Amino acid sequence: MSFDEVFDVIVIGAGHAGCEAASASARLGAETGLITLNLDLVGQMSCNPAIGGIAKGHLVREIDALGGIMGRVIDRTGIQFRLLNRSRGPAVQSPRAQADRMRYRSEMRRTLEATSNLHLRQGKVVDFVLDHGKLAGVVLEDGRRFSTQAVVVSTGTFLNGLIHTGRRTYSGGRAGEPAAIELSEALKRLGFPVGRLKTGTPPRLDGRTIDWNAFEPQPGDQIPVPFSFATDSLEQKQIKCYIGYTTEQVHDAIRANIAESPLYSGKIKGVGPRYCPSIEDKVVKFSDKSRHQLFLEPEGHDTNEVYLNGFSTSLPAEMQQDLVRMIPGLEETRIIRPGYAIEYDFVDPRELGPDLQTARVPGLFHAGQINGTTGYEEAACQGLLAGINAALYTQRLESLRLRREESYIGVLVEDLIKQGVDEPYRIFTSRAEYRLALRYDNADERLERYGRELGLVGDSDWERFNARQERLGRLRAALENVRLRRSDAQHAAVSALIGSDLGDSISLSQLAKRPKVTADLIASLLPGELKPVAETDLNSVLADSLYAGYLDTQRAAVAKLYQHDTLKIPRQTTFRRIAGLSNESVERLDRARPLTFGEARRLPGLTPGALSTLLAYLSAQQKSL
Amino acid sequence: MSTIVALSTPRGRGALAVIRLSGPDAITIAQRMGLYEVEDRRATLTTLTRPRDGEKLDQVLLTCFRAPHSLTGEDVVEISCHGSPAVVRSIIDTTLELGAVLAGPGEFTLRALSNGKINLAQAEAVRDLIAAQTDAAVKQASRQLNGELSNALAPLKEKLIEVIVVLESALEFVEDDLPAPRAEQIEKELLAVSAGVEKLARTYASGRLLQEGIKVTITGRPNVGKSSIFNSLIERERAIVTDIPGTTRDTLSEAIDLEGIPVILTDTAGVRETTDGIETLGIERTRRAMGDSDLVLVVLDGSAELGPPDHDLLIQTAHTRRLVVRNKSDLPEFNHASTSCIAELQPINVSARTGEGLATLRSAILASLNNNGFESDGLLITNARHYDLLCSAQRELEEARAALVVRHSEEVVLAPLHNALRFMGQITGETTTEDILSEIFATFCIGK
Repeated sequence: MSFDEVFDVIVIGAGHAGCEAASASARLGAETGLITLNLDLVGQMSCNPAIGGIAKGHLVREIDALGGIMGRVIDRTGIQFRLLNRSRGPAVQSPRAQADRMRYRSEMRRTLEATSNLHLRQGKVVDFVLDHGKLAGVVLEDGRRFSTQAVVVSTGTFLNGLIHTGRRTYSGGRAGEPAAIELSEALKRLGFPVGRLKTGTPPRLDGRTIDWNAFEPQPGDQIPVPFSFATDSLEQKQIKCYIGYTTEQVHDAIRANIAESPLYSGKIKGVGPRYCPSIEDKVVKFSDKSRHQLFLEPEGHDTNEVYLNGFSTSLPAEMQQDLVRMIPGLEETRIIRPGYAIEYDFVDPRELGPDLQTARVPGLFHAGQINGTTGYEEAACQGLLAGINAALYTQRLESLRLRREESYIGVLVEDLIKQGVDEPYRIFTSRAEYRLALRYDNADERLERYGRELGLVGDSDWERFNARQERLGRLRAALENVRLRRSDAQHAAVSALIGSDLGDSISLSQLAKRPKVTADLIASLLPGELKPVAETDLNSVLADSLYAGYLDTQRAAVAKLYQHDTLKIPRQTTFRRIAGLSNESVERLDRARPLTFGEARRLPGLTPGALSTLLAYLSAQQKSL
Repeated sequence: MSTIVALSTPRGRGALAVIRLSGPDAITIAQRMGLYEVEDRRATLTTLTRPRDGEKLDQVLLTCFRAPHSLTGEDVVEISCHGSPAVVRSIIDTTLELGAVLAGPGEFTLRALSNGKINLAQAEAVRDLIAAQTDAAVKQASRQLNGELSNALAPLKEKLIEVIVVLESALEFVEDDLPAPRAEQIEKELLAVSAGVEKLARTYASGRLLQEGIKVTITGRPNVGKSSIFNSLIERERAIVTDIPGTTRDTLSEAIDLEGIPVILTDTAGVRETTDGIETLGIERTRRAMGDSDLVLVVLDGSAELGPPDHDLLIQTAHTRRLVVRNKSDLPEFNHASTSCIAELQPINVSARTGEGLATLRSAILASLNNNGFESDGLLITNARHYDLLCSAQRELEEARAALVVRHSEEVVLAPLHNALRFMGQITGETTTEDILSEIFATFCIGK
């Protein structure tokens, strides 16, 4: 078979997963082709123009620590930055930013074009070429054939996408863009189990027709927290968002027309995300709420377009205008683009290994919504992992796997590949057992070494990382060793401030755990040679000591609970022969082939009974050895 | 999945024996042995034959239970046959010839467990039930078998999940328009959960005694008649009784049933200074048995003056739960009015030889246990694993409460709460993150 071009790795789709995948793969030295339907829409934000949020911001920080690009691109194009959960502990704080949608796209494209070994191609992949069961190439709709050893499929909602507004449905990957129907058929031909999910998006408004005075302004942080560890200052002029509310009148009108919604008329079969409900769902399921919160998010500096966050809908386009105009402040508003719902195909992520490679076709990797996730950040981190591992695969090197104890990416991947999905999967901090250890501010300490070892973290970033590690080391030593003694000048003042006597001598780290003691106070007590101390450094070190005790007891409790997790399941175990296991349990175990009891415990669908049966069997085997 | 077979009634000769078959081939095997009409849950009289040679085995009552409405959740056939070991053996052998396999220990229960017919707590209760020694213990085991422990825990777990849902939502959905969690309210709810768990855990003191038996140790200086009292209480001649001091050289234990409460009675070597190696060893064991017991019977010889060893014993056991027993009330030398210092100890006068005072002794043993809050009514925790898990859960709940009191951020309060939930889940079945998220989405309108 002849090929028009030869690549090592091909990435299908240039959304948030595809961009990370292609960038990482190319920088690891693989000749990488990034094929997309429309080169002008690289890095397009299909839904809200924002990146980050609780747990999602953690993911972006982890991507950045590993050497990914999302954090840098949003820092250069973000127009409003807020650190969420500021009033809570550092483990659950997370950065979020509004993006200038167009500038994000062009900055992403500029970043990709500046990457050597990375080749952007416009086209539509319709089939795979296999050689003895292994990936050998892809076929494009226009007849071109590209040779490759590995493919990352990151097609988002384009995979057999079907758009709904009211009773109208049409094929599409996003409003105004064609769907990838043939690729979905190709995956099915390879034997992949394909399911259906749904998501939706709200209408976009003409900003000139909004009465902004009717809304409550929501400014960004005075001192913005960037996403990338490498970012020192932000470039974009910062803007405000605005908060408003729906009214009972809106709710009544929606309820009166609920039959027009494809969600309620039964037209939509796919399962949507519960944490991103449409306005129809909100008024039906929470009918006792008299108002629902809305956010007006400007889409960027070069446009009047405004994103009406909180009003995702698939009601008929002509009805949306009337509904929006019932909202106080939007009486005169015109819709630029109507909202819609979209159904798309996903492939059961239990087909994947921890490297995001499919077991069915060596060399084939899946990342993003094709794995049943939702969210740009969820997509990007999978893209990064898949891109890294696709390149490593072509270089016959050992793959990168991340553990759930060390990263949210590890949590997400393990949840996906072990449990599968039955609704679009979004990351939450509560999904991480070791939430207190996985902070946004220590993502570098957790992961940057991996990025460096791979070769994704450049020299200047590595120097910056090491310099920070050194500063943190000195700070940690100071917090332990510097003591506030009764003879010290500040002793009385600090005691008075916190309202209790400090005792004769107290270390700064102990002092920091006392109520009312702020980071600023600790900073003022540091020895002169450490001043001025960077706030981010001090916060990281204080967070470590704040959680240290809890992490220890947490580890002890988990160790006790899961003391059997390390119990090995011999490879030759025939689950069918274990007395008392139901056929269903045997099937699940046979499919997953867990190697330890811990792996078995995390399998979906195994009842506590089946687990105790397995445990009883394994313990008995162990004893008989 | 194989079809298993086992004798479900005790081994040995009896009027009836019940053999149970469970698995996909249970009904086919029964049919090949002579069951003509399969009617669910209806006993059918039939003569079983061996297909190999047509040999008639026994006239039996057969009952079929179709899956999933059976003990194990599989097809089950119960064969009530005559209780001769030979008949039982020939029927079981025939089922084996037809493809059944002998059930391993507890295999019926395991199958019931994995088919969701019973939960883990119930399965453990089955084991307790089989091992139960007395009526009261059987009653407790069957309460747990009926899911009472899970039922008792369920409302506590629900309340805990409610608290977790409120705190998690506050953390995860800061941008949503959610009501702020009210710390005082949550504190109150946690206190209630913690108290509930603690109350359950506390019943283990009684529950353990019920399950394992109350350990009662008989002690005293040599030749005061410890072994005689032991034999009288167990109502047979187990310990060798002689007039020679130091006859009992090792500890001897026997289980008895005192009004439904299992009691493990231990006879010990008399405590005295001795040079005899074996006897020294026995005395060492005596001390260990005493330290290990729930109640000590200090036996004195009421027909003789108290000597230094008696006083030593009384001092040694002063802080142990004990009953002072004055033996040999049948002898003329017996002094019915004991000296004032002993009278304070409210001794019980008995004669092991005539049985006089033994009834009083029995009720005194029970009474002393009841004084300690022992109860055999209500749900009792009888399983050490459950006790351990409940205690761990309660510790975590208290840690969460402490964090809440000083108004720590939610994630700090949540860490021990999730641990508590995991510990409780080890008894009733796990609550996954998905379950909690579902609860959040059902409770609050989430999503921008």
